[in-house]
Amino acid sequence: MAQSAKEHRVNRFFTSRGEPVSIHPALYALVGLLLAIVLIPFVYLVIRAFEKPLPEIMDLLLRSKTLEVLLTTSVLLILVVVINILFGTFISVGLHFVRLPKTHLLIVACVLPLAIPSYVFTYTWLALVPSLSGILAAAFILVLTTLPYMMLAILVSLRRIDNSFIEVARTLGQSRFQIFFKVILPQIRASISAGALLSGLYVLSDFGAVSLLNVETLTVSIQNMFKSSYDRSAASIISLLLIVASILFIAADEKIKDKKAKENVFKRMYTEDSRINNLRLKSIVLACVGIYTSLGVIAPLYVLISRFVSNPNPLDVSGLVTASISTISVSAFGALIALMFSAPLGFLIATHAGRFSKVSERIILIGHALPGVVIGLALVSLGSKLGAIYQSVFLLAFAYALLFLAKAVAAMTFSLQLVPQALKEVATTLGKSKTKVSTTVVFPIALPSIGLGTLLVFLTAMKELPATLMLRPTGMDTLATQIWSYASINRFNDAAPYALLLVVIAAIPTFLLSLPGRDLDSEANESKSKVGSLT
Amino acid sequence: MTSLDVSHLTVNFGERTVIDDLSFNLKEGEIASLLGPSGCGKTTLLRAIAGLLQPREGTIRFGSQLVGVSTVVLPPHKRRTGYVPQQGALFPHLNVAKNIAFGLDKKEFSTQEINNTVSQMLSLIGMSGYESQMPTELSGGQQTRVALARALAVKPKMVLLDEPFSALDAELRSELRTEVVALLRAQGTTAILVTHDREEALVSSDKVVLMRNGKIAQYGSPEEVYETPVSPSVAVSTGDALILNAQQSGDGITRYAISGSESEFSTTMTSNGYIVIRPEEISVSKVGVSGVTGTLIQLDYYGHDAMLVIELTNSSEIVRARVAGPMDFQVGDTVSVEHHGPIRFFSQR
Repeated sequence: MAQSAKEHRVNRFFTSRGEPVSIHPALYALVGLLLAIVLIPFVYLVIRAFEKPLPEIMDLLLRSKTLEVLLTTSVLLILVVVINILFGTFISVGLHFVRLPKTHLLIVACVLPLAIPSYVFTYTWLALVPSLSGILAAAFILVLTTLPYMMLAILVSLRRIDNSFIEVARTLGQSRFQIFFKVILPQIRASISAGALLSGLYVLSDFGAVSLLNVETLTVSIQNMFKSSYDRSAASIISLLLIVASILFIAADEKIKDKKAKENVFKRMYTEDSRINNLRLKSIVLACVGIYTSLGVIAPLYVLISRFVSNPNPLDVSGLVTASISTISVSAFGALIALMFSAPLGFLIATHAGRFSKVSERIILIGHALPGVVIGLALVSLGSKLGAIYQSVFLLAFAYALLFLAKAVAAMTFSLQLVPQALKEVATTLGKSKTKVSTTVVFPIALPSIGLGTLLVFLTAMKELPATLMLRPTGMDTLATQIWSYASINRFNDAAPYALLLVVIAAIPTFLLSLPGRDLDSEANESKSKVGSLT
Repeated sequence: MTSLDVSHLTVNFGERTVIDDLSFNLKEGEIASLLGPSGCGKTTLLRAIAGLLQPREGTIRFGSQLVGVSTVVLPPHKRRTGYVPQQGALFPHLNVAKNIAFGLDKKEFSTQEINNTVSQMLSLIGMSGYESQMPTELSGGQQTRVALARALAVKPKMVLLDEPFSALDAELRSELRTEVVALLRAQGTTAILVTHDREEALVSSDKVVLMRNGKIAQYGSPEEVYETPVSPSVAVSTGDALILNAQQSGDGITRYAISGSESEFSTTMTSNGYIVIRPEEISVSKVGVSGVTGTLIQLDYYGHDAMLVIELTNSSEIVRARVAGPMDFQVGDTVSVEHHGPIRFFSQR
């Protein structure tokens, strides 16, 4: 029976029906190591922050400047999230329930702004309205930028609502208005919260838009402290403040998520005919979509294209090519690291429900709360001590991996959970060992959505600005940094080709995500849009 | 193919005991049904036999080989059970041929041998020519057949079917059931079928394992469990049953609402209890000349037969009788009923 202990473990891997599960020691160790790595910047910041004596920390935190920045950040956050919730819910529900021509193209149009990073939005709008400045302008730009996150999340959950609920409610004498509040809203509440979280975290971590519009939020403060005085301890303290704000925000979302009822088994009983065919509603929804897409797609594209075409200076082809190559290689490197990190973490969370998984999830969420400026700050300071990797491509790629790890893990976990337990069990009884089951069943099925998740991390990394500014090797320019350096000195014409290229590349996955699949397999589409809304 | 011996098996999910000191055995080539209400532990028992979960106590033997004790002796992938879960669970990324060949080890068999097995299996399930179809292109019944072929392809020691027909409509269900059972019998396969359909259990198997709350309520051939239930409640779970109050005298004579003549019944040393009657053991005739009379209060017509609900004139007890069609009863008729079947007396429900 010397073998029994080992085989006992092999067996336990497959039991997930309430029986206790044990974790392979190697997986335990690997996940522990990865979590330690994820926490490095955070721990470093804490140590740096508490290098200062406590009274000084309190002084820094309570001085009027800090409070003012905190107030600005909070007002901006609340403005953007509230507008997003109201407008995003209205448009999504309208697109789903009102009978409109070419609904699918309308959705694609509304999601396209995802391809445009906030600093490109800002500079195109600055080119149109040079006087744009201040907190309301920043709120406007950030709503344009983040509304698609809201809409994607809500649309996914709307598609999951069983139409028979609505029909039953109708026959029970409820008006459409009542149905929205009693039947639909409770079922999309969790996604509204998830969308609010994504857009809120975007606002908290945004650097480009607020900085171009002269709004001093926490991120701008940190960047200023970093640039001007090199007082890293002070910057670390403000960073911790920013992290606390992000964590509070995440915790609020978790709270709402906990309350939601278990999701219905997916049933698509939605028929064309049951959509609302009311002229007034139709025109209102169409008008909203029209306003949003003209502000968020047509206006920026018009600026980029016209600036690009009318630029009197010759196109710097070699600069464009070099920047593209740098951008693609360092982002791909980062996405690869994120993929490697997310595999064991996602595997643990997907297959082992337990305290260790819960703790791991929470730690990864902390990573989610670290904005680019903060990761940049931590890694610059750490890197400068480590010598060799300081200002290396590796450090920047590593920063991307840390920044987008939460997205990568979410996509990985979701992909692995796509494989039903029954399939794994059948494979086992057909004589496949644990490893074999993974290679022949789990990965082939999960691979497409893992790939999609990795692609999204890659493209998000391409658009990343603040950490790139802080960590790029001397002399390396990426598309994002080129756009930034030209835009911040108002050379909009020169920024245009870089921005246009970035937007075109970033639009690819947006199309991939929102176009219907070639196959009619609704589940494949479902998982696709789910991965999209997660990342 | 092999025999199966399950002895004193106990399975816990946390605090809850799902299988409670359960023992039964199957001979080589026998087909058993695990029958019981949902939550009684049928699927858990099946999964324990497959090795997919770990029992707390007890042993499982395939033939003379010990495959399971409380620390799993043989992991699931070495047990060679052909497991067919609900709705088949075909691998969605593999075509029919690759699904069937999934359990055939390429190191052990040549490509030629594997191809032969696949085409043999496909002709066995009557689906030759479907090699390159994907699972989503198949109907529910075809998916179940392929899942069965996949299980049989590895020449399993026993086939474990977990409500394989539950997703199919009634007609296809009974058709496919007949087909699958014939196939299993032709292969001489030892098999266990989990079901909550009492007809399915009776018609498909050599042994019926009737489960209740993690224990075996009754175990035997279909005739045994149907004809001689161990309690009134067990009788109900294998088919329609009429439970009437009854008294039994010391000399073994039983009196109940339709027992007919009461002259011989001695009132000394009687015990109270219940009698179980199958509806087909009651005959109903139109003219109330002999036996007990009653009024027909409801008639459920099924085509091949009908269920008559009769309120007895004397005792106002309700009895249900199954009569074969054609018949010409109408609600409101006065009828006479007669019981001609075994006396199944129980002192408790």
